[in-house]
Amino acid sequence: MVMRNTNDDEKMQNLIDEFKKDISSKNNEILGYHDKIDALEQEIIRLQKLIPGETSKLKVKREKPEDIFDPDGASAVIVKDLVKQFGDVTAVNGINLDIKKGELFGLLGPNGAGKTTTINMLVGLLDPTEGTASVGGYDVKRDLNKIKEIIGVCPQEPAVFKFLKGRENVELFGNLFEMDKNVLKERADKFFEASGLKEASNRKAKGYSGGMLRQLNLIIALINDPKIIFLDEPTVGMDPRVRRKTWTFIGDLKQKDKTIILTTHYIEEAEALCDRVGIIDYGELIALGSPKELMKKHDAKNLEEVFMKITGRRILEGV
Amino acid sequence: MMQRVLALVKMELLKLIREPANLFLNMLFPAILTLVFGLAFGGLGGGDSSLFDTMAPGLFAYACIFLIMTVAMSFTDDRESGLLKRINVTPTTSTQFIGSHIITNMFIAVFQLAIVFLLSLLMGFRPNVDVLGVIMAFVFMLFLSLCSVGLGLITATIAKSAGAASGISFIFILPQMFFGTFMPLTEATRVIAAFLPSYYVTEAITTIFNGVSPFAVEILMQLGIIALMSIIIVILGIFLFKKYGKV
Ligand SMILES: Nc1ncnc2c1ncn2[C@@H]1O[C@H](COP(=O)(O)OP(=O)(O)O)[C@@H](O)[C@H]1O
Ligand SMILES: [Mg+2]
Repeated sequence: MVMRNTNDDEKMQNLIDEFKKDISSKNNEILGYHDKIDALEQEIIRLQKLIPGETSKLKVKREKPEDIFDPDGASAVIVKDLVKQFGDVTAVNGINLDIKKGELFGLLGPNGAGKTTTINMLVGLLDPTEGTASVGGYDVKRDLNKIKEIIGVCPQEPAVFKFLKGRENVELFGNLFEMDKNVLKERADKFFEASGLKEASNRKAKGYSGGMLRQLNLIIALINDPKIIFLDEPTVGMDPRVRRKTWTFIGDLKQKDKTIILTTHYIEEAEALCDRVGIIDYGELIALGSPKELMKKHDAKNLEEVFMKITGRRILEGV
Repeated sequence: MMQRVLALVKMELLKLIREPANLFLNMLFPAILTLVFGLAFGGLGGGDSSLFDTMAPGLFAYACIFLIMTVAMSFTDDRESGLLKRINVTPTTSTQFIGSHIITNMFIAVFQLAIVFLLSLLMGFRPNVDVLGVIMAFVFMLFLSLCSVGLGLITATIAKSAGAASGISFIFILPQMFFGTFMPLTEATRVIAAFLPSYYVTEAITTIFNGVSPFAVEILMQLGIIALMSIIIVILGIFLFKKYGKV
């Protein structure tokens, strides 16, 4: 699956060589081609990672995952050659990541890029077709029970019990984490206060607006004070005011030793919040770094332009 | 562990109480059936009460049989709205989760049976039975409810949506209603009845209510059969749900 024909490489190199010959004869046009060469070289680097010889080195290690996962204890999430196929569809195609403790990491990409699928594999809702991952130092295949103790997950679609009041929802999930009653109440109060849902928390979720449901969705994900937090499109469908408030809320969560992995297809959100972003397209990681680094590297004004320069498309196309 | 199970049981009970459709199906439907049959055939209408007396055990069974639909819809509803996934990313184990459903439904069954039993007494039902006999009848009913929870799980596994679940649950509900309660059996339907949990339960309860000791050999044998059936069905339900009822 991960294997690619090495011919791809040669073809690409030939293309570049031709390109270079071509443009050297047109000195005055050279400048315009720089970008394209950069993009092609990026592509080559990516393809090189997929050469069988390279991946087989990883495969040997994969047999003893405890050896490769987080030797220095600085990583919160490690993803190795993760692949997920649904029948013929390859939703995630060989992703590698190393997310450090305390990082606010953004998975940015258009709809259908494979963000949710990646998150679902990390939290144990989907089994990877290939590859491995560790969360909090635990292997997603072997130590899922330990992972569930330390994570909080905010699903893309709000999942709350509509017939329960906001507060009852939060308390239910707090109890599923076997939280102390007093601590649970305290945290719930704090979150309801901060989100402005205090008054609504005593009403059934059935009557909530879309934005309120999303806020409740987020509070449930955080109630157990998780070490590692997965937020799947936490602000989609919120109006701009609530969205900004939620950004502040998420930004405030970022403390020492708390790791946040959020997916989004909002470029400003990734730029405003994230220490680092991984841009994902058609199930593959096409760029990785801090927003500043990426903009500098691709000589772009924003991450939208970075995506544009790499793929030739807009991120929000077809949304 | 108890904290989790209790929280889930509380949620399931609130689901029942606060969702009018659930409440109707579970609490009111069997009660209304009892009222209707009671008025039509019971001693209260001035007629001979013996017909209603033969029906009453079957009406109790109805109350338990309908749990199949409740359980199936509850699971499929929660699956559709992403709540099973959400519970699945907490440390809750599937044993705790399914256990909480069993506890909730046993609780509902006891409550519901009490209502139907009192109603039928009100409508002129006069069983020839002592307290021990009534308790034994309840034990039978609880096993039947357990079967229903298992069949509900199996339904939820097969059904793709909550709507489909209510339809599919009738595959398990209707035969039990028609061939496993008070309707007269032919040679052919007797064969079908042998596979229906409600058949053994209704038979046993009818016998008990006719004054036979609840510890008579035939009763204990039927108790053994229904206990075995319920265990097999629940285990099969859990197995299928875990394996194919992917959240
Ligand atoms: N359960 C599934 N069965 C089949 N295809 C799926 C399933 N889940 C996701 N996909 C497909 O995988 C791709 C990635 O989806 P997803 O991870 O939801 O993208 P994103 O979250 O980035 O929008 C899409 O093409 C989607 O249609
Ligand atoms: Mg998604």
